[in-house]
Amino acid sequence: MAHATPQGFKLLNGWKRPGRFDKGLGAQLPEAYKKFWREWKLTKPAAVHYIPKESEWERDEVTNVIKPVQNIPLPLIDTPESHQGIWGGEAVIKGFQKRQQTKRRVPHFWVPQLRRSVVHSQVLNEYISVIVTERALEQIHECHGFDHYLLKNLACDLRSALALKLKRQLLLSLQAGCPALADDPQHQQEVLKEYSRYLEPYTPEEIDWYGHTYLEAIRKLQGQLRDAEKVQPHKVEFRSKLIEQLREAGIREAGKLEKPDILAASSEHKDADIEALTNLESSPSSSNWLSKINPFGKKET
Amino acid sequence: MLRNICVTQLNLLKSATSLQQQVRTTFILKRKYEPLLHKTNEKPRRMRAKHFIYELVEDTQVKKRPNMEVVLKTFVEGVGDKGDVVSMKPHFVYNKLLLPGLAAYKTPENIAKYAKTEAEKSAVKHSSAYAQRTVNMLESIVLAVIMNKDEPWVLEPWHIKASLRKAGFHCKEDCITLPKERIEGPDLKKESKDFYCIVTINKLEQATLKCRLHHWSTDPSERLPYVLEHWKMTSEPLLDVSSPEKETLNC
Repeated sequence: MAHATPQGFKLLNGWKRPGRFDKGLGAQLPEAYKKFWREWKLTKPAAVHYIPKESEWERDEVTNVIKPVQNIPLPLIDTPESHQGIWGGEAVIKGFQKRQQTKRRVPHFWVPQLRRSVVHSQVLNEYISVIVTERALEQIHECHGFDHYLLKNLACDLRSALALKLKRQLLLSLQAGCPALADDPQHQQEVLKEYSRYLEPYTPEEIDWYGHTYLEAIRKLQGQLRDAEKVQPHKVEFRSKLIEQLREAGIREAGKLEKPDILAASSEHKDADIEALTNLESSPSSSNWLSKINPFGKKET
Repeated sequence: MLRNICVTQLNLLKSATSLQQQVRTTFILKRKYEPLLHKTNEKPRRMRAKHFIYELVEDTQVKKRPNMEVVLKTFVEGVGDKGDVVSMKPHFVYNKLLLPGLAAYKTPENIAKYAKTEAEKSAVKHSSAYAQRTVNMLESIVLAVIMNKDEPWVLEPWHIKASLRKAGFHCKEDCITLPKERIEGPDLKKESKDFYCIVTINKLEQATLKCRLHHWSTDPSERLPYVLEHWKMTSEPLLDVSSPEKETLNC
């Protein structure tokens, strides 16, 4: 049946609109980033602005009818400012107030109170001045520290690009063994022992792709693709080959044998090669045949 | 009528609300009109405008925060000694103790880690957390010692005690150490001249107290003219009086 449809087996369960991971560059994003994306955008965050009903069923007070409980979360708005600070899961709520029974509803925005404070990261060994809410500070106290707060909570609960970026830095730093605390090895060991349990759920690739917004991830991917298909000009390649051959032949002017790989490494050493060759050419003591075959030397005036 | 009966019956069946389970410092809202039920495992129905009418349940921003408990890493003036578990207001704890690194969160590991060792217990450095504050207060003031202009006198500890009491400090006479030289009067050459005495707090901390002599008469016509804010002026020391030295603690 599937082969009979022009679109193949994809249409068997109905048409699905291609999402951001199905087309274009997004389709090339690695599974590690998609895992982070699911944690960030597709997980239901903890209830912050409403009190969820615990029971599965409830009884109507008037009619005694038993109804199922369906906790529909309030829609929240994540402003650009929320991604520059750490709001502890809070967001702006847009809605209406009914202030009087006989009056029309009034639009209202509930915005959290923000203030600037300092947070201290033990792993990065830094004090960071950020805009926080009271709830964020309380969460930090509950988790016994800023690092614990970032590492313990899921991306959907952190709800801020800044916090996610810091979390990636923390994970990278932990992976590298806390280079920021290298001055005090004993303290470094204590910190590593305390926080290394947070590294367990992640692979190195997942840490590398953690905490990027979609646009940042695309930019990162583009950079990787560009690096992969970097072309070296033949000019550079052939020249380094030639120098290599000359060196093997034991010609003194071609340079020492100790560092052939550095010379032949990349096009950055182009200038060095040219310099070496021009030196060869201009050196008066060498009455060698080598001076005649340099194709890149400047014309003598 | 029917409604009332139902409500009274059902109040017995109601379970306790789960309001006090989590600390929230934010607006907590609820819908004024509940949306209609949707099919299980399906998207909720499209909501109408009246489902976005919210009522404020609680604004936890304006509630009083409970105190926070932390373990002190070192002696902190006015707070406590090393290893103490102190309970104070959360903003003070965060800004003044946790961020400067004077305290750590109260966990069993931290309590064990920062507990005082025997060697530290035996070497008493501070009699109390607040003594250093008193020392700082005493060293910051210029104490006016007001003596009689007409009758002869010799300065004694109880003069200093009375002057301190006027300035709001209550102490015993044996806490006060005067300079070794006798200070006698009345002598108008000694008017507004400084000398130093030492106040011992809790038999341990010592504060150097700057005193300034003034003369005063019971007869209003005999009194010296009033000098405005004389404690802010610089003055000379009493030449023949040396300041007493603080005892070294470890001898």
